[in-house]
Amino acid sequence: MKELGGVNGLTRRDFLRSGLVFGVGAQALSAGYAAVPDVFARAVLAAKEAKVQNDRILVMIQLGGGNDGLQTVIPIGDGAYRDLRPQLSAAAAKAQPISKDIALHENLRGIKKLYDAGKVAIVQGVGYPKPSFSHFDSIRVWETGDPERRQQNGWLGKAIEKNYDSAGHPLVGCACGTTNVPGALRDLQATLTVIDDQKTFSFQGGQNVENVMGTLYTGTPGIYGALFDSAMATVRDTVAQLRTSAAKYTPKGGYSDKVNLVYSSKNQLAAALQLAAELIVTGTGVKIIHVTLGGFDTHYTELNRHDALMSYLDSAVSAFHDDLTAYGMADRVLVATWSEFGRRPKENASGGTDHGTASPVIVIGDPVKGGLYGETPALAKLDQLGNLSFGVDFRAVYQEILSSHLGVDGKEILGQSFDRVPFVKAAAG
Amino acid sequence: MNEPPKPAKKTQKAPLGIKRRHVLVGAGAAAGGLAVTRVLGLHHLGPELPTIALPGQATPTPKTKDWIAPLDKPEAQVAHLLRRATFGATTAEYDAAVSDGFKTTVDRLIETPAAEPPVMQAAEDASQEKPLPPVQLQAWWLDWMLRSPTPFAERMAFFWHGHFTSDFRKVNPQTPFIYWQNLTWRRMALSNLSDMLYKVTIDPGMLRYLDLGTSTGRSPNENYSRELMELFTMGVGTFTEDDVRAGAKALAGWREPVTQAMYDAAVKRAMEQGRPVPRNLQPDPGKTGVFEQQRAYVGPVTFLGDTRQWGTTSVLEKILKQDSVAPFIVTKVAREFVKGDPDLAYVKRLAETFRKTKYDVKTLMRDVFTSPEFLSPPSYRALVKSPTELMIHTTKALGLGQQPQLTRGLAVAGNGMGQALFDPPEVGGWPSNASWISSNNVLERVNFAQATLTALPTIPAFGKAYVTHLDGVVSPATAQLLNSSPDDATRWLILLASPEFQLK
Repeated sequence: MKELGGVNGLTRRDFLRSGLVFGVGAQALSAGYAAVPDVFARAVLAAKEAKVQNDRILVMIQLGGGNDGLQTVIPIGDGAYRDLRPQLSAAAAKAQPISKDIALHENLRGIKKLYDAGKVAIVQGVGYPKPSFSHFDSIRVWETGDPERRQQNGWLGKAIEKNYDSAGHPLVGCACGTTNVPGALRDLQATLTVIDDQKTFSFQGGQNVENVMGTLYTGTPGIYGALFDSAMATVRDTVAQLRTSAAKYTPKGGYSDKVNLVYSSKNQLAAALQLAAELIVTGTGVKIIHVTLGGFDTHYTELNRHDALMSYLDSAVSAFHDDLTAYGMADRVLVATWSEFGRRPKENASGGTDHGTASPVIVIGDPVKGGLYGETPALAKLDQLGNLSFGVDFRAVYQEILSSHLGVDGKEILGQSFDRVPFVKAAAG
Repeated sequence: MNEPPKPAKKTQKAPLGIKRRHVLVGAGAAAGGLAVTRVLGLHHLGPELPTIALPGQATPTPKTKDWIAPLDKPEAQVAHLLRRATFGATTAEYDAAVSDGFKTTVDRLIETPAAEPPVMQAAEDASQEKPLPPVQLQAWWLDWMLRSPTPFAERMAFFWHGHFTSDFRKVNPQTPFIYWQNLTWRRMALSNLSDMLYKVTIDPGMLRYLDLGTSTGRSPNENYSRELMELFTMGVGTFTEDDVRAGAKALAGWREPVTQAMYDAAVKRAMEQGRPVPRNLQPDPGKTGVFEQQRAYVGPVTFLGDTRQWGTTSVLEKILKQDSVAPFIVTKVAREFVKGDPDLAYVKRLAETFRKTKYDVKTLMRDVFTSPEFLSPPSYRALVKSPTELMIHTTKALGLGQQPQLTRGLAVAGNGMGQALFDPPEVGGWPSNASWISSNNVLERVNFAQATLTALPTIPAFGKAYVTHLDGVVSPATAQLLNSSPDDATRWLILLASPEFQLK
């Protein structure tokens, strides 16, 4: 016992070998309503066969805080737009028309190019009945796919649980560029990985410490015990995966997080998407990825801040698409945005907008059948609170992603069927 | 959950000597456990194992796999209290509290007025010219969490920082506002909700964070009105959209103050750019929002059922008359200090007193800590430490004192684990409990323990740290690793990185 130091020869020297280097990373929105499992049902998964055989991959981008759809996909043909938004309508003059009535924000240049190439679908007026104006409530609705707010598990988590064998394949469902599990991925029966920064995603002290931690997090009692043990098992699987993948990947897109600091955008979207590309390109078995861009709660001086957010989104998504194209993987990957709500059509005194309802979902990628879907929201027909009425249920968008892109049973996850919004070119096998 | 039966046979001597007397392991886990070496391919650990006597439970079910709560023991009660009412204790603080006993310790924690942190002149003087680096502010607070003589007050300031939240990004390091907010929250932390809400509403940082400072009667901004009801007092679903709009009108009229330093910087900037200084710009003497009647809304509006001319005070009074307020605050407190899913009857009981005492926070906290539920087995290790609590407890456990480098390191490490102080991820504040357990965070927590130990010039003696900091209640895996560790550095790593230490 002496020489080997008891447990895997862990000695004082191992501690001294590495310096005081802490991981630094970004944060993102995370829902605070987790249920705590009595027992983590990891074993259940081990016995389950993966149902899905296709190679399709989904990347969801959360626009946290409530993206102003009317400043993203701008209704330039609607006279009411200028009346409701004397300051914000300055964005209309510089916008990029895609029809006589509709224009994309001027900074969505890369996305416009992809739109012209038929690779971008814009689903307009997406929302749900009896909308909530609370960030948390509405985030939860979108995360769980349940406007009644009864479900606990996220729609993506459920999709993983029901269709993929995630046990031992921790990267099937992955949140990139964040520290906590996003609500959309939450499902206590699925293995989910969260990687803030892959550069620091390894054990300080190396293999010895890793082995000891594997032992330490075994059979942990208590209500969080299984969650801890599972998280550590996932860490170890992921560390092993990343060790292999990092060597095989060099980015071929122009990722840059060096943009002006956007208010409250505690995010590194470009870095997160670069990590997503690495996971995809190196064949880690990743299926569903979630990333977040925050800062969209633009109650004041919206014009400049929203401009910057659009630019940030556009450059990160464009680099990601370029990267995947260069690697010949773009035909497998669909990217879609989501946000808890749009914003009030009428601007407020602070040069911003308050919480609203429906807003567009932007779907990007080679699998996409480009174009405009859904009705353009009518600013002349606002509801009694001065908000837009929704035209497309957000679950119809989810259904198209699940059933047509991922090739899984959307109804099983959403609990019901919706009319198709056919923005996916060819259904997955 | 009960005291396990006496061990059938005498335990054997282990390197660390953790024996049955000290270690209470989870019954189910113990009976089913100890196969870890085989499963994970560890080195053979020697014939002296197992050193932990197993409670004689035959067939464990998952439901029995729980920590064996030692909360019938006075020293464990005190340690439980210190982990929750403070940020964990140094050995000296633990010894003193154990000697005082539970009740005396509760009194001392609750009745000692908050000690003021050292004045931070750089924060006071923050301006366009000299913005305050956020990491400096974070380190300043972490340092005070570490060495404040009134750690409960600090813990409560931290709680309110997550409840009445603001972040430095929007509030902007070019103002002293977020620093002032920290001072205000600490001073009001144990007062009553009525005074607190007024201070929160006119707090300069809050005026900016939730936009009340730019809201006017003519064109109200709804942000503060909504979150005041949804997140600060009543909870979602207890008010209508019309109430949000009416509240926004009723509260409008406040603006942020301008400090001398901010004023000087603005004048300098204007002169440099050859612009006139804005005529209405003047430094303000106070450290709260300034009410300007001409920006307010004049006329009756209907708010929470009453139609009248409202002002800030009457709006807050009206909110405090709502039945939803006391249970909402109490639930949040119970989730932070007792358990993640407090019973409705428990919340109701505490809420009744809370409302009867005009929302007196000190009474509420005393009620919480002295309630039987606080010391009942289901509350034991029922909460997950936030990264800040983990870091401060780690630092205290290792007996590390005041070191500027250390607190800056903590500020950076907190960020990696999902908690950069003064920068919560959302207007709802910090995540809690299970939300802290992701693969990323578990790895970051382990790496934090490793990095901290690596940075130490000398490793403190381990001694009975597993009793002081873990009540001697550890899993079979933890006990086994502690027993077989070659040195104190390894023992500290096991303890600080263990699941047990992540809980409180």
